[in-house]
Amino acid sequence: MKVDVRGEICPYPMMKAVEAMKKARGDEAIEVLTDHPPALETIPPQAHRLGWEVAVHQNGAEWRLVLTKKK
Amino acid sequence: MSAEAVSTRAVRQGLSGQTLFGLLVLVGATLLGLYFRARLPGIALIWVFGLAFGFVLQRGRFCFASAFRDLFLLGEGRVMKGILAGLFVATLGFALVMYTYSPSIVPGRVPQGAPVFPLGPATLIAGIIFGIGMVIAGGCIGGNLYRMGEGYVASWVAVIGMMVGFSLIGLTWNWWWRVAMETMPRVWLPHTLGWVGGVAVTLGAIAIVFLLVIWWESRSGLGSRPPPALPPGRTLGDRLAAMGEGLFRRPLPVITAGVTLGLLNVFLYLFSRPWGVAGEVWRWSDWFAGKLSIQYPELLGMDAVEGCHVGSSVTQGFFTWGLLVNGGIVVGSLVGALMAGEFKVRVPKQRRRFAQSLGGGVLLGYGAGLGLGCTLGAFFSAVPALALNGWVFAGGLALGALAGIQVVRRL
Repeated sequence: MKVDVRGEICPYPMMKAVEAMKKARGDEAIEVLTDHPPALETIPPQAHRLGWEVAVHQNGAEWRLVLTKKK
Repeated sequence: MSAEAVSTRAVRQGLSGQTLFGLLVLVGATLLGLYFRARLPGIALIWVFGLAFGFVLQRGRFCFASAFRDLFLLGEGRVMKGILAGLFVATLGFALVMYTYSPSIVPGRVPQGAPVFPLGPATLIAGIIFGIGMVIAGGCIGGNLYRMGEGYVASWVAVIGMMVGFSLIGLTWNWWWRVAMETMPRVWLPHTLGWVGGVAVTLGAIAIVFLLVIWWESRSGLGSRPPPALPPGRTLGDRLAAMGEGLFRRPLPVITAGVTLGLLNVFLYLFSRPWGVAGEVWRWSDWFAGKLSIQYPELLGMDAVEGCHVGSSVTQGFFTWGLLVNGGIVVGSLVGALMAGEFKVRVPKQRRRFAQSLGGGVLLGYGAGLGLGCTLGAFFSAVPALALNGWVFAGGLALGALAGIQVVRRL
């Protein structure tokens, strides 16, 4: 599932990522695209709390967060 | 790719285009500083403070709005802990500065520059209005200023909203002053507790709030996550690269950022007066109102209060104290964002986000006008000045953030 929140600022990137994690079925991974650096501080703690792993990939001033469910 | 691999790659990338551009802006800012030094010796140093504030805010991703909002929205106190750390060091520093300015405690008087305001319902209401505004606009006044430097177009819109809000408070100020401020006491803790008591109570209260935040975080199931360490350096080059990475490319740890902002605020008070950004935006609003031939009544009580209001800037022609602080924040943040490769012109995709920024901005302007300051002037500078109004304003901010969350959830 892709969540493109580029152009959105706090708290929306985090809220939409959490929404996606709650909606996700099975082992589906979630890709969050953001250009809002503070989202890198807010999304990972929420993901950990909901039992997800986070990998962050930077491409210039945009970031791709890949969220996968912990086994 | 692990975080370590990412950072190693970033170190090896060396100077990117944005970094070089950031250095160029820094050189330009330095030249401008030399011009100020020649032309405005009284306030030239303020430019350096502004730049430093902007750089640290940007590098620390230090957002006062998120500090209040995320406590309730996420059960997370990351930035709030940074703010509290900053308040702690600033309290010690401000006490020394205030003691230097006036060692003896005179009833009814406070040291110069200390933001001790009439404390009453208006203080709380101002905090609530500002708190709602900062959550809706996605940042407080200072937050939107440094976001301007990072390339957020919506923040420029928010500043326009603020100017509208300041105009509205200009038109209604006298009513507020007569009804809810004029007769209210100005509570400065040393008046009743003495120097040591005032400082001790403030530090104790900050420590208690810090513990409450940690309790709140653990209650909501958030553990602390230490950031991944940088790869160990062997050669001098490796180590310098790692240092540069830590300072310019990685986000600054939030406690470090908070303490640095607190210390900068102490030195700024020592050189002139405490940090605040709202009065200058109010002045911009006033300037535009003048151009549009909007007439304000004479604002009552302004000569009797310190803090951030339309007449509070030290004026030297076009360049004022506040313009150097606020302009410095924008440019310092631009430098920080470019150095980190994080600058980008960001345009919201949804039109309603512009309306959101504008509306939030109006509330920010109105709240900061009524409160004689924003999260910086009426809170981050008021609590360390041992002013009780700083705590009440903060309570209003928390209530407002709580209300603002209900609004943003529906937008």
